Amino acid sequence: MRIMAYEALDFYDVDSLLSEEEQMVRDMVRDWVDEEVIPNIEKACRDGVFPDEWRVALGEMGVLGAPLKGYGCPGLSYTAYGVICRELERGDSGLRSFASVQGSLAMYPIWDFGSEEQKNYYLPKMASGEWIGCFGLTEPDYGSNPGDMITKAEDKGDHYLLNGAKMWITNGTIAELAVVWAKLDGVIRGFIVEKNDPGFSAPEMKGKHSLKASVTSELVFQDCKIPKDRMLPGVKGLRGPFSCLNNARFGISWGALGAAQACFNSSKDYAMSRIQFDHPIASYQLVQNKLAWMLREITKGQLLAYHLALKKDAGTWIPEQISLAKMNNVDIALEIARVARDIHGANGILDEYPIMRHMANLESVKTYEGTHDIHNLIIGRHITGIQAFTRNA
Amino acid sequence: MNIAVLLKQVPDTTAKITISEGKVDESSVSKWSMSPYDEYALESGLQMKEKTSGNLIAITCGPERTKKMLTDAAAVGADILVHISDEGVKDSTHIQKLLSAAIKKYEANVILCGKQAADTNGGSTGPGVAELLDAACVTLVSEVNYSDGEFSTLRPSNTGTERVSVNGICVFAFDKGSSELRRPNVRGIMMAKKKIIESITSGDLGVDTGSSNVKLDSQTPPPEKAAGQKFEGAEHVSTVVSKLRNEANVI
Amino acid sequence: MNFTILAETNGDNLHPTTYQLIGAATSIGSKSIVICPNGIATAEAANIEGVEKVISVIGDCFDIFDGGAWAEALNSVCEGNILVSATPNGREIGARIAAKRSIPIIQDIVSISEGITVTRPAYSGKAIETLTISGDAVITLRPNAFEAANSGNDAPINIVNQSADIKISIQEAINQASERLDVTEADIIISGGRGMGSIENFSQLEKIADIVGAAVGASRAVVDEWGMPHRMQVGQTGKTVTPSLYIAVGISGAIQHLAGMRSSKYILAINKDPDAPIFGVADYGIVSTWEDAMPALESALLELQS
Repeated sequence: MRIMAYEALDFYDVDSLLSEEEQMVRDMVRDWVDEEVIPNIEKACRDGVFPDEWRVALGEMGVLGAPLKGYGCPGLSYTAYGVICRELERGDSGLRSFASVQGSLAMYPIWDFGSEEQKNYYLPKMASGEWIGCFGLTEPDYGSNPGDMITKAEDKGDHYLLNGAKMWITNGTIAELAVVWAKLDGVIRGFIVEKNDPGFSAPEMKGKHSLKASVTSELVFQDCKIPKDRMLPGVKGLRGPFSCLNNARFGISWGALGAAQACFNSSKDYAMSRIQFDHPIASYQLVQNKLAWMLREITKGQLLAYHLALKKDAGTWIPEQISLAKMNNVDIALEIARVARDIHGANGILDEYPIMRHMANLESVKTYEGTHDIHNLIIGRHITGIQAFTRNA
Repeated sequence: MNIAVLLKQVPDTTAKITISEGKVDESSVSKWSMSPYDEYALESGLQMKEKTSGNLIAITCGPERTKKMLTDAAAVGADILVHISDEGVKDSTHIQKLLSAAIKKYEANVILCGKQAADTNGGSTGPGVAELLDAACVTLVSEVNYSDGEFSTLRPSNTGTERVSVNGICVFAFDKGSSELRRPNVRGIMMAKKKIIESITSGDLGVDTGSSNVKLDSQTPPPEKAAGQKFEGAEHVSTVVSKLRNEANVI
Repeated sequence: MNFTILAETNGDNLHPTTYQLIGAATSIGSKSIVICPNGIATAEAANIEGVEKVISVIGDCFDIFDGGAWAEALNSVCEGNILVSATPNGREIGARIAAKRSIPIIQDIVSISEGITVTRPAYSGKAIETLTISGDAVITLRPNAFEAANSGNDAPINIVNQSADIKISIQEAINQASERLDVTEADIIISGGRGMGSIENFSQLEKIADIVGAAVGASRAVVDEWGMPHRMQVGQTGKTVTPSLYIAVGISGAIQHLAGMRSSKYILAINKDPDAPIFGVADYGIVSTWEDAMPALESALLELQS
């Protein structure tokens, strides 16, 4: 009568430290993922679609823009936001990407840097899931180096004119609005572009081997005309997009654990059932070594993410701390997925098991929101005071 | 209209049970949940509350940990949360007396519950409470509707299903309901957190639990299953069928 | 010592469980006073060994099933320890009589011994409870867990007129072919795999399912290749099920299928290949083609029912 409820690895009982509210939010999302996502994700992945029912359900549950307060937003803790990301990504990284982009990259900049009119106009409908948002920072030739972007906005008196292109934009093709970062007189500003604005198009990028259940798009601005009231007044320069990325990265540090836990659970179940040479492979030392290593890394990652969440909620965090958690947890999650595939043997390549889907997804997660190497250098600069990103001084 | 829903918290039906020293080790239960059939009763109660603009009173009798289940019920819309301490409860008579007293205290017009709890698989509470309230009882229902002072319900019959109607106070014990169970949402969770749980004891209800004719001697694991038995040929089918009845007790 | 036995009927006859109640009483050296609602099958009851007397209760209230009315009418002639079948009606009437008499009820016992000591499953069968009863109680007995008493007696029959107020009314009967249970709800599942040969042959499994009230399941191969509905699929990408009995017919037992049914309480495997992996997890295995096994299974189950 009931489906087998998912139990996540929690070796050091970190979840017992969550508040009652955070645990109830966790259970709400976990049950929904069990009932609606797990049975349908492989087909969504094969078909390359993000099911619209999931957008509706996320809106109804009230988890979009989780840590934002006011304007119809949930007003939960950052810890709760992390928990939501973890539970979603246990299902699929593409699903969690939808929520990250909507909440941290599209709703957040309007919430923090928008005018009152913009907040009242956009945020309630985004919180309910009625309007989808996306975030336009990365360009075809400007990824790790967003500061030198060439998308530009010109002040034409009664409107702005945007020209340029953005790439790798989650939700772009299905979004009602995009928060686009472009240079106005050489200074990076945020602009809200709506899907029907003249000169704007958002073609889908096809042929992905990763995040297949997520929509990835280009944003193309060809003399794109937007009204004057669409600029975000509250921020100039890279601080704008980087603030958004910090929030998203925080969510990802929790999310990656969800994928890792899913791979661990599947590996453990498989190893206990798969008989070879008359014994379950879980009885062989090399397999136990792999499972124990997975448990070790997941446990460390959980403690990292949880402590970071406390600091985020207390306001005592610095961006480098977020870089560390994002980088570490995604890195170990990808390794865990690879080792999980090994434990599953040939069966691991079938979509009967979630392993290679997680593995392929995590390649993107390791790259977006700051590549692994970039976060490494962020920490290196923090330690030494010397930036090693570029050859320039 | 006051709708009472009787809820029981049980080890999640997918959780492993550890037994040590002749007793189920409650501290080892990894997950506690609302008993599955009670969930259908709660969903039906919430639909009835919405249609009649009534109050839904969620009542449970159990230890401290059961209060969390009441908060979960509040997150989907329960209005009043009542926790009765199970101190001194030794058998079905005590539980039923406590629940009936609470139902009377909150002046319920109708009582909804699951057909049986997932831990005891007993099914005594609904009919027993009905008896103590001198109320009608219909069991194994899949839905309950209310209109113009009359409750209308569906229950199984020898030929399929039958529609039964009841006037006056009644207990409905739910089998799997026809409605989907609603999910909580963040707003519900945040409001539920603020909801006060009314905590009462047998003394508050004027119920003397007293002694009992029944004593639980022990809880033990089921007997170890015998090793698998293999038979060659369909002529052994009837032997196996007898074993399914007499050894395994599954048919 | 006497036990009060509430007889359960099936049409004009006693339900087989009534014989089991009397057998259980006899097994601990007790005589039975059998109460027959609505005067049905009193002669049959008087004929059972171990019966001291039969009380036939006649009343209007027995025309429809209102547990409260039945309990009130029958309670008037109950005394001491009361045995009832743990059928849906029995559980309800038993619970009401217990509450009325302010005595405890113990539901669904599977054994009884002097003392009185009883055992019953709990936590969906994950634990067995042993209880001692030291006074009056209502006890319901799991059907088919006790030896039936024999016939060959001639007990006296008393007739009592006793009715009670009915508080419910039947509005309409909705006669429908009862839907077969879904695999996730059923306590018994019979599943077929590639070994069934074709989707048409599943009708053989459906016949068995109808006899025992089981759900019908399928392996992934059957769903993918023969178009069986996906909701019937048991396995890694289908449903995970935990029935009391899982009957796997023509299923080899690949790891993906095992993932979905491994936690079944009991597994019966029927496969013509003696080396099929499914036999490794089966409690009972029969090496046979389904063509031979299904008719044998059908007749064995029908015989058990009668």
